[in-house]
Amino acid sequence: MAEKSVLVAEDDPTTCRFVASLLDAKGYHVLTAEDGRHAYEIALHQHLDLIICDVVMPYRDGFDVLRAVRRDERLSRIPVVILSMRDREEDIVRGLEMGADDYVVKPFNARELVARVRKQLESSRREVGLTT
Amino acid sequence: MYRVLVVSILVTGGVFLGLTLAIVLNKAWREGLCTWRRARRTVLEPAVLAYAHGDHASLLPALEGRVRRGDRRALEEVLLDHLERVRGIARERLGRALDELGYVDEYLAALRHHDWWRRADAAEKLGVAGAGRAVDALAAALHDEVHEVRLRAAKSLGTLGGVAAVLPLIGALSEPNRWSTIRVADVLTSLGPAVADEIMAAFPALNSNARIAAIDILASSRAMNAASWLRERLRDDEPDVRARACSALGAIDGPEAGSALQRALDDPQWCVRAMAARGLGRIRHEPAIPALCRALRDRRFWVRDNAARALRLMGDPGLGALSRMIGDHDGFAREQAVFMLEEAGVLDEAVDDIASLDGERQEAARTFLLRVLGVGKRSRVEDHAQRHPDPRVRTSLSALLASNAPRRESVAP
Repeated sequence: MAEKSVLVAEDDPTTCRFVASLLDAKGYHVLTAEDGRHAYEIALHQHLDLIICDVVMPYRDGFDVLRAVRRDERLSRIPVVILSMRDREEDIVRGLEMGADDYVVKPFNARELVARVRKQLESSRREVGLTT
Repeated sequence: MYRVLVVSILVTGGVFLGLTLAIVLNKAWREGLCTWRRARRTVLEPAVLAYAHGDHASLLPALEGRVRRGDRRALEEVLLDHLERVRGIARERLGRALDELGYVDEYLAALRHHDWWRRADAAEKLGVAGAGRAVDALAAALHDEVHEVRLRAAKSLGTLGGVAAVLPLIGALSEPNRWSTIRVADVLTSLGPAVADEIMAAFPALNSNARIAAIDILASSRAMNAASWLRERLRDDEPDVRARACSALGAIDGPEAGSALQRALDDPQWCVRAMAARGLGRIRHEPAIPALCRALRDRRFWVRDNAARALRLMGDPGLGALSRMIGDHDGFAREQAVFMLEEAGVLDEAVDDIASLDGERQEAARTFLLRVLGVGKRSRVEDHAQRHPDPRVRTSLSALLASNAPRRESVAP
């Protein structure tokens, strides 16, 4: 099975390095972006299997990136997991209603995040299998 | 004289030059240290992260068996930074590494340091590290002479959780400083309903401020298991305790809360009656509507205001009761009822209906408005009679106002 590519869009460098090293240790190919604009550019130009996206980021926030990804036909099938400090019910509901596949609140549980990423990638693979 | 002047200028210049040099060197030293530490962090972090994600029992093998003296601060920063961002097993492992490398012992020692900011820093770091063995030391720090140390110790105890950490926190609610009590209460609230049993057990030993804070914590954390205990607090000797208990029962709801709050509407103290009315509104206890209508006649404004708001919160049955209270014999009750019906938009709805094609609605609106005018509340209706966008409404309202013009005393010719 080919190595899966995951984009981590996170403006806090410490969290970004933690998540990147976590996924790297589990065998994923990890790309990182420190702001929303950069994240969207990477999504446009690189093959991605999943995006982990913070909400509060410079230039374009996570919801904006999510909206852009869902509107773009080339990207709309990529699963997006929101990873955010915002733990209010309305933020979580907003994220999921805008098309996020999952929502993880910070501080996060590392194992849980990996399990959720794996589940999203499997669901996405199954969907691709059904449509081809 | 000339020599003295030259020497004094040279000395002053020398002092300034020396000071400038010292400041520049100090700044350069600090900058250099930061750069060096950043560089060391880059080297140390991968080892720390590999340990956090892996299953090795110790971090030391990844650091080649030892931590160089110069690396201790950089390594501490890496560990603390990541500890703040994660939960679960990774957090436990990072905390264990801090303990293994002697940082927790350093923090425990620093809790006794003569500089208060070192004690405060140590108290905070013990919480971030999740150092369970620091509970007793942190509990002792709750009695520190410096407010900031006490607060950080409280926050850390909240992070550590567990009964051993909760009991000293409950004791700290009796802090003489009201602001500290609020912060400690926030920490306890963040622990959720699990702390309710400890709070209820410790209640008799608390001072009056702490008792009020304790009841507020039960309310904010929606501690359902405290509902019957709160009902007993409605018989407390302290009016403030009874009032807070009413507020908490309104927040938690729970069995028999409605009937208990309804009884509290007859409390001799107005603050208790006001909070009871508010609580009844929050739980929308419809059987209390007649009692709330009686509370509209209370001599205390807050009781009347809360009772009117409670009736409004009950929807149509409550609004219907307020509408009936317009004709009450008590002036306070009439005033409060009209005010709340205005605020709820009922009066505006009646104004819109006054020119309705539906005869029944028109008649109901007319009757309602006549009753409002009958108690002398004309200003809002007059305002609509002048500004309403529908000319038919303006005409109907003007006719209504004319037919109910206030009587003027006749002036003798």
